[in-house]
Parts: sequence; structure tokens; C-alpha cells
Amino acid sequence: MLKSIKGLVFGAASTLLLAGVAHADITVYTAGPQSLIDKLAEGFTGQSGIKVNVFQATTGKIMARIEAEAANPAVDVLISASWETATDFAKRGWLVSYTSPNAEKVPDFLKNETAVAQGVSALGIAWNTKSGTPKPAEWSDRAKPEFRDLVNIPDPAQSGSSFELTAALAGQDDFALFKSLKNNGAIIAGANAEALNPVLQGAKAAVFGAVDYITFGNKAKGESIDVIFPESGTVIAPRPVMILNWSKNQDEAKKFVDYMLSDEGQKLVAGTYLMPARSDIPADRPLISDLKLIDYDAAAIQGKRKEILQQISDIFGAN
Amino acid sequence: MSAKDIGGVAPAAWLALSGLVVVVAVPFAAIVLQAIFPELGAGSFARPFSLLSQTLGDVRLLRMTGNTVLLGLCVVIASALLAIPLGVARALYRIPLAPVWDVLLLVPFMIPPYIATLGWIMTLQPRGYTEQLFGFNLTPVLFSLFGMTLVMTFNTFPVVYFAVSRTVEAIGLRYSDVGRVFGATPARAFWRITLPLSAPGLAASLLLVFAAAIEEYGTPAALGRRAGFEVLVTGIDTRVGDWPIDLPGAATLSLVLVIMSLAAFLLQRWILTRRSYQTVGGKPQNAEKRELGRLTVPVMLMFGIVAFLSTGVPMLAILGTALSGTISGGLALDNLTLRHFADVFGNSAGALGALTNSLTLGLATAVLTGLIGVVAAYVVVKTRIRGRALIDIMTVLPNALPGIVVAVGLILAWNMPGLPFTPYNTGFILLLAYCCILLPQTARYATAAFLQIGDNLEAAARVAGASGAVAFQRILLPLVFPSLASAMLLVFALASRELVASIVVAPVGMQTISTFIWRQFEQGSVGLGMAMAFVTIILTTLLPLLFLMLLRRGGLVRE
Repeated sequence: MLKSIKGLVFGAASTLLLAGVAHADITVYTAGPQSLIDKLAEGFTGQSGIKVNVFQATTGKIMARIEAEAANPAVDVLISASWETATDFAKRGWLVSYTSPNAEKVPDFLKNETAVAQGVSALGIAWNTKSGTPKPAEWSDRAKPEFRDLVNIPDPAQSGSSFELTAALAGQDDFALFKSLKNNGAIIAGANAEALNPVLQGAKAAVFGAVDYITFGNKAKGESIDVIFPESGTVIAPRPVMILNWSKNQDEAKKFVDYMLSDEGQKLVAGTYLMPARSDIPADRPLISDLKLIDYDAAAIQGKRKEILQQISDIFGAN
Repeated sequence: MSAKDIGGVAPAAWLALSGLVVVVAVPFAAIVLQAIFPELGAGSFARPFSLLSQTLGDVRLLRMTGNTVLLGLCVVIASALLAIPLGVARALYRIPLAPVWDVLLLVPFMIPPYIATLGWIMTLQPRGYTEQLFGFNLTPVLFSLFGMTLVMTFNTFPVVYFAVSRTVEAIGLRYSDVGRVFGATPARAFWRITLPLSAPGLAASLLLVFAAAIEEYGTPAALGRRAGFEVLVTGIDTRVGDWPIDLPGAATLSLVLVIMSLAAFLLQRWILTRRSYQTVGGKPQNAEKRELGRLTVPVMLMFGIVAFLSTGVPMLAILGTALSGTISGGLALDNLTLRHFADVFGNSAGALGALTNSLTLGLATAVLTGLIGVVAAYVVVKTRIRGRALIDIMTVLPNALPGIVVAVGLILAWNMPGLPFTPYNTGFILLLAYCCILLPQTARYATAAFLQIGDNLEAAARVAGASGAVAFQRILLPLVFPSLASAMLLVFALASRELVASIVVAPVGMQTISTFIWRQFEQGSVGLGMAMAFVTIILTTLLPLLFLMLLRRGGLVRE
């Protein structure tokens, strides 16, 4: 009996050891989809022989890990879901300046000295086509009586892209739209996935400002859901790739960024229904050039983040 | 407790202490230091206490704290109301199909709370499963304090049920029969004798429920936020997940949680030290159970309803979602598919690797916490070594530490530059995290069990010439083993599904069951996530049962 327990413990211990000691050449932390990073890592390793070790979580959880690791950081390449990360890290002086030769076809607003977009998501209206509601065309349509109690808003405090949309729209009419949404029974419903799930089942008819690529993915799987980009404009969320200046493998990290921006890498990005950062790579979905973007001062709204979140939570009565 | 001085316990005490230092004290110290020194993560001790007053002065703190206590108490009371009648009936009467009910009431504990909550939402929301099948929904009930209490109670009451049925069974009817002989009615004998005697197990389990309720994240986040009901853990998560990250604030808030759970613990200790609960003496026990008689119908109804609500509804919701091709397709025959299960077993997105990792980690955690827990409990209850109160407190400290804070503490402690060896970025860091979070389970159960064993048994062994170690191994360990084994079983289940710490602290490239499921949900593959959840719940229920059966056949556990 005791012997068998011993055996089990040693078995467990050796499994754990083996799981941890895989020596990788670069470490990538990503807030992007796991399936995408798996494919990118596989393709990159196949081409260069450099191994990629991956940690995937939400932007918030990744930041918590980097913050706690700050004394002895491990990450070489960071892919965030929010451009704000790139701005902030550059300000702290944590980033390596690098412009990939493959970034030539990336539009200027999706790159700077220290960061370049991997792909871009946009926010749209995710609408359940079997919900029995008229197809919405504009943000304000969800304040109409047909959508009474049927609208979910992703929590701007938990989702960076939802915050950008909320702040941009609120800036246009001083929160009037959100007040009318609230009066029409719209609720703030957790992060992006939590807001979308009830719409899939039909408990709600639409998500106000859903992350488009996840919704396109669901549509491709046969869900009765569609994404509508309003004529009046929307916001996009470029997903920046950065190389950290503490990285001991900066050359390998640069090669990884090159690969991600290569034809092959960008096609993998397009395969997850994200918009590829390079304008010359086609994708099976509307591209940035097809979308109208709301004009707003990104730096200014980030500076007022606390106030805007407070106003939203005052309107919706939570927190 | 009689005065005694057992030679040979010093090594045991040292073993318990060193285990506790590595598993509990190191991350806990890191958290306290983080609360005091805001720049600890960067290795700097600058600006001590600068953020403490800002966090503690937050007007929302008082409301969050109040909500946390309120929710904890609601869940404790509801769990007690649900579990005590069932546990007592199970212990004293011959229940038809008793082992089947045990398994059915064990399952809710194996369902990860966030999955159970999602299952309830998908069942009760408009156009959810009850509306598709029966035409009604209960949304207003679900998204409220009442709904939260109900969902969390269904998840935690098995802890109380098993604790009560075990301890009451160990007490048996002997003591209350004495009461009956002296003229007490059956009800009076129960209230005045049996129930008070089972207080250690009951109090220990209620303490665990309280701690689990105030530290639970998934349910308050999914159900409470919509009702404007913010608790400390959701506040902590906002601080950790919202840029700019406020680690010192999160550490401070979790210390508030720890203080709450310590207060509950001291209250429990005070209740228990007022009198003796020793019921396991040398005298033979009459294990005969009574017939239910005319109570049969109500008792069976009670078991049936509770089992259906706590196990049936969430499991059906999980299975229904896992078998649906699309969620918008609903419960329709043409939407029925085994695709998601095929994906799990086809190792899609690394599902099988995640299963292996989690089951291995769960097993290792159960063994380690069992070992440390039983030795620590022995030292605390059965010896008079100085500093044993410290050991006792250390076994309860992690009780209310939220997983995410343990994770941050472990990173701070084990990622310091210049360490000769570090478990960080290996699977061992997850093992440490799980041991820290779950140690209170085994330690509490073992302590309660030791409290019920008379000192005369060990003394007799010693008089007969056994050394302290032999007396422990041959007399005490077999007597506490049933309690310890069920605690280890719970640890196995909890460890193999732990989510919040795993997300932050998992080594690069390593998935666990819960991070796998969570990623599927995040990316919109709810069906695959639910299929994995279903497979996991079945496995984590069956594996420990199989293990216990083997032990029983080997004669290590009676019954």
C-alpha cells in the first residue's frame, strides 16, 4: 500500500518536472486566441527551429503576471488585446525599438517604433437572427421599444475595447445614448464572452459592442448570429505585439515578429476572423477599409478612464 | 486534555512545521509584504504603507465587506438547513439505496462553481432550458442574493452533509440511548445529546463553507454584479485584472478576507474548547441503524428533491449544452451532436494533456495536504508542544485567501532573482498553489477527528510499550483515516478543477482542466467547454470512489 503511494507520488513528480523543464527559446505571453498562437508557434518553429513557449490569458491576467514577475521577468514577446498596453509600456521604457521588414504593408496607424499590430478586431452589434427583433442598423436602434430588456453591454471596466467604444460614443452626446439604453432595460453583463452567451441562447437579442472575431467564429460554427457594423461608425482594437527590453533572446523574438507579419503568419491571423494587420492580406470578413471609424481622441479618454467608468456605473446602477 | 509528554513527537512537529512554512507561510508573507510595500514586485521596498490607507479608506470597502459577510452567512445557514437533516437521517437510519444517495450528493461538490452557475443561468434565463421545455423562466430569482445563495449552497452543502453523517455515525445511538433510558423523548435526546456531541465535525464543516463562500469568485461575478452586489473577491479581481494593476490593493483586500475567516475560526475554536467531544473510546460500538418506518416517504422525498436540484439540474444543463451543436439551435433533435465529446477525446486544443495534468496535480495535492494536515492536526490536538497554536493558525490562514492572491504571492516569493532553485514556471508551482489553498480542508477534518478520540486509547498503547510513532500509526491513524480519506477526496476534486490561481500562475505551455474550459468559454466554444466539464465531473467523481473501494478491500477503511 505505502509502496504504491510512493510510486504514485514519484510518478506525479516526474510528470510535473517534465512538464516544466521544456527549454524553449522564446516565451510569448498572449491575450489572443489560444488556437491562433498554437498555429503561429508551430509554423514558426517549423521554419526557424526556435521553440516557442506560450502563456495565454486575458490582458488583465497577463498584466498581473508581468507586474508580479517584475523583479525577474520571463516574457520575451507580449501580444496584448489593447493598444493601451503598448503606449503604457513604451512610456515605462520596457520595449525594444524594432520595425520588422514585413511591416511595410501595415498602415501607419497600426504601428510605431516599439509596437506593431498582429491583427485588429472591431466592435459591432452582435444580433441573434432568430430573436424575432428587427435587424438593427445603428447603435441607437437598441434604445427602441422592440429591444426592451433584450440588450447586453460588455462591461467597459472589464473589456478594453468595450471601454473605447463606450467612451467614444459617450463623448459624442454626453452619455445621452447610454441613458436611453438604460431606460430601455439594457444591462451591463460581464466581459465579452459573458455578454455574448445569453444572446446565443436567445435570452437577449443583441450585444451592444461585441468583439467581432469571436462572433464571426460562432457564426461560422452555425450559430444564428450576425455582426452589424453601424454606418455611424465604430471603434477598432488593434492588438499590439511588443518585444520586452529585458528579453535575453531579442534576435529570436524579432524573427518571431517577422514570421507573424509574413504572408503565412498573417493568413493564420485572418483564419481566426481577425483583420490582418497588413492591408494586402485578404480575409473572409469586412476589413478596416470597409468600416467607418469614429473620430475620437484616444489619449484623452484614457486619461479620463476613471471618470468615464464612474459615470457609466452611475447610469447603470451597478457598483 | 490530560497532561502528558509523549516522546518522539518532535520530529512530527518539525515535519508539519516545515511543510507549513513552504506551503503557507512563504506566499502569505509575500502577500503581507506586498500590502505594505507597493513596489515589491520590482524588488523594491520603497514607500512603505503609502497605499494602505488609500485602499482601506475606499468608501466601497465597507459595503463590499458587508456584502461578503452577508453572503457567507446566508450560504452557511442555508447549507446547515439543507445538510443537517439529511446527514442525521443518513447516519442514524437505514436509508434505502444509501450509497447511491451518497454519490448523488457528492457530485455537486465536483461541479466547478462557475460551471454550475453557468448551467443554472442557461437553464433559468429567458429562452433557457426550462422555457424551451416547460415554458417558464426564473431570471429575477436567479440574479439576486437569494439566487446566489441557492446556487452556492447547492455547491457547498455536501461538505456539511458528509461531515454530519460521519460524525453522527461515529457517535452512534449509544449516548442518546442513555438519555432515553433516563426518560428523554427521542427528539430531546437528539437535540441535547447527539447534535451537541457532533459539534466538532459540524462546526468544522460550516467553517469551511463560510470560507469557501467568502472566497468564491465565479458565482458572485456572474450573478451578483448584475444585481449590483459587489463582494471583496470581485473587488480584488477588478484590482488585479484592470490596468493599471493594483497588486497592493488586492493584497490588502485579501488580508481583510483572511481576518474574517480567522475570526470565524476563533469562534469555532472557542465553541469547541468549552467542553470535551470525545466519543470514540475503547468500548465497542453498536453500529445497528434504526428503520425509517413511517418517516420513509418524507425522508426519501427530501433526498430526492435535494439530489435533483443540486446534481440533476446542473448536470442536465451541462450535458444538454455539451450535446448541442449550436447554442442558438436549442434543445432540438437536429441540433444533437457528439462532436464536442469527440473533440475532447480527439485531443482538440490539448484537452487530454489538460486532463492528465490536472488529475496528476489533484492526486499529488491530495497526498501532500493529507500528510501535512494529519501531522499538523495531531500535533495541535494530541501534544502540548509550545507553538502548536501557531501551527493551528497556519493551517487555517489560507482558508479565505482568494486563489488569485495566492498566485500573486507565489510569484512574488518564488520568482525572486538569485534563488538557487525555484518551482516557478514548472508544474510544481501549481502544486504549491493548490496545497496552500486546500490544506485547510484536510487539516480541519483531521483536527475534528482527533478531537473525538479519547486520550485513553493512545495511553493504553503507550502503557503496552508502543512508541509514540507506533501508537500514532497503529491506533490513531486508522481511527482518523475515514475522515482524512474523505477530506483528501475533496481536495483531489477541488485541486483538479481550481481555476483562478491556475490562470495566473500556470507555467508557460501547461494547461489544466479549468484553464482549458475557461479558454473555450472565452473564445465562444461553450459546447466544447461543457463537454470537457462533463467528462471531468464524471472522472473526478468516479476515480476517488474507485480508490476508496480499493482501500476498503485492502481493509484500510472499515464500512
